[in-house]
Amino acid sequence: MIAQPFVYHAPTSVAEAIEILAENPGTSRVIGGGTWVVPECNRDESRPAALVDLRRAGLSGIDVVDGVVCVGATATYSAVMSSPDVARHLPLLAAMASGITGGRQIQSQGTVGGSVVAARPSSDAPAAVAALDATLVVAGPDGERRVTGTGMFADASTSCLREGEILTRLEFTVRPAARWGYYKLKRSASSWPIATAACVLGEQPRLVLGGVSATPVHVDLGSVLAGRPLTPDTIEEAVRRAADSVSTPWEDELAPATYRSAVAGPVARRALEMAAHQEES
Amino acid sequence: MSTTEHDHSTTTRLSLNLDGTDRTADVDPRSLLVEALRDDFGVTAPKIGCATGDCGACTSRVDGQITKTCLRLAVSAEGSQIVTTQGLAEDGELDVVQQAFWDEQAFQCGFCLSGMIFAASELLAENPDPSEQDIRWAISGNLCRCTGYEAIVAAVRTAAARQREIPQRG
Repeated sequence: MIAQPFVYHAPTSVAEAIEILAENPGTSRVIGGGTWVVPECNRDESRPAALVDLRRAGLSGIDVVDGVVCVGATATYSAVMSSPDVARHLPLLAAMASGITGGRQIQSQGTVGGSVVAARPSSDAPAAVAALDATLVVAGPDGERRVTGTGMFADASTSCLREGEILTRLEFTVRPAARWGYYKLKRSASSWPIATAACVLGEQPRLVLGGVSATPVHVDLGSVLAGRPLTPDTIEEAVRRAADSVSTPWEDELAPATYRSAVAGPVARRALEMAAHQEES
Repeated sequence: MSTTEHDHSTTTRLSLNLDGTDRTADVDPRSLLVEALRDDFGVTAPKIGCATGDCGACTSRVDGQITKTCLRLAVSAEGSQIVTTQGLAEDGELDVVQQAFWDEQAFQCGFCLSGMIFAASELLAENPDPSEQDIRWAISGNLCRCTGYEAIVAAVRTAAARQREIPQRG
């Protein structure tokens, strides 16, 4: 039982959700799938006066529109895993979704958008979404705005969302098929990730580390991988850059900062090697 | 909305289809779904283990999706169709997964049964011939503190084998 009384809202449109948030400035929480906000309230770590549940707001779809894969803010991990569009254009996103902790129940309840907004350092989604060069589409009282790259995450557990805003969808431009890799280090099946690495080696190769810092770390690859084959030498250079890019390592009950620094390189290597072993498509 | 006579809390009316029956109860709007199922609807198969989504003991099927009901607000389930492990038996006969758990003695205290049985059913619906690794991954969102999981894995394997022998309808 949640100790503090609250008013529950289940808006049926984005406009209605924005209106409710405007009426409860600073005292509301938004629920995507509920797997984080609900237990947080139940532990009395958050005491919102209003809970705004987006489950009926029509944001759960996954579509391809004009060469852009649009993943609705409340699309669940299961929806991502079973979407033929995601399988075809964003296999890294499907791989991330299929490996999350918590079993089929959490895959059916948790949302990629919710995980991005929660922006927890040890979650799977932020780094994968960053590696896929997502655009976050955010709606608020002043209309819609779009956020990309390092702008998506401000700090640990702090996304780019401002007061009164909600995430409506994630957009991914369809690009030619490219090699990709994803590796996650965790202690046990039921553990949160300690470190993740996601890479997409298209025209502009991207390698992003998760869990090792407050926000996803975009590894500066320079010209190491652009237009060049993955060889032991280029992988070695990319791994060195990955290890060097963790300037302020994250620390929590799962692992100390020194450990996270130490595993950044090896985790990057495993993601790159996964990409190297893929067939040319 | 109506107000109850005890304390100063307000209750709200919640209507569900629960294990095949249309039901209505007055619930505290602050309730988690698992609390409403147990305390207000009297269906106690889903257990409250961790209330953080880790253990799976509160699992039920909500609108077709297996769900950790501690992560759902009761009020969010208005109009939902919910099946608990109490609603799986037909004409007094345990379903194939339940029977396999019974035969393999795949539970001791029984607290984790809801999660294990629904996770197993979900697996077998997609994969009639799972490997041991498939089974272990499928149940990974559920914690059992008694059995060491061996008997549970055996039960899922037994259920899979039996299900493959049952002629599919239609």
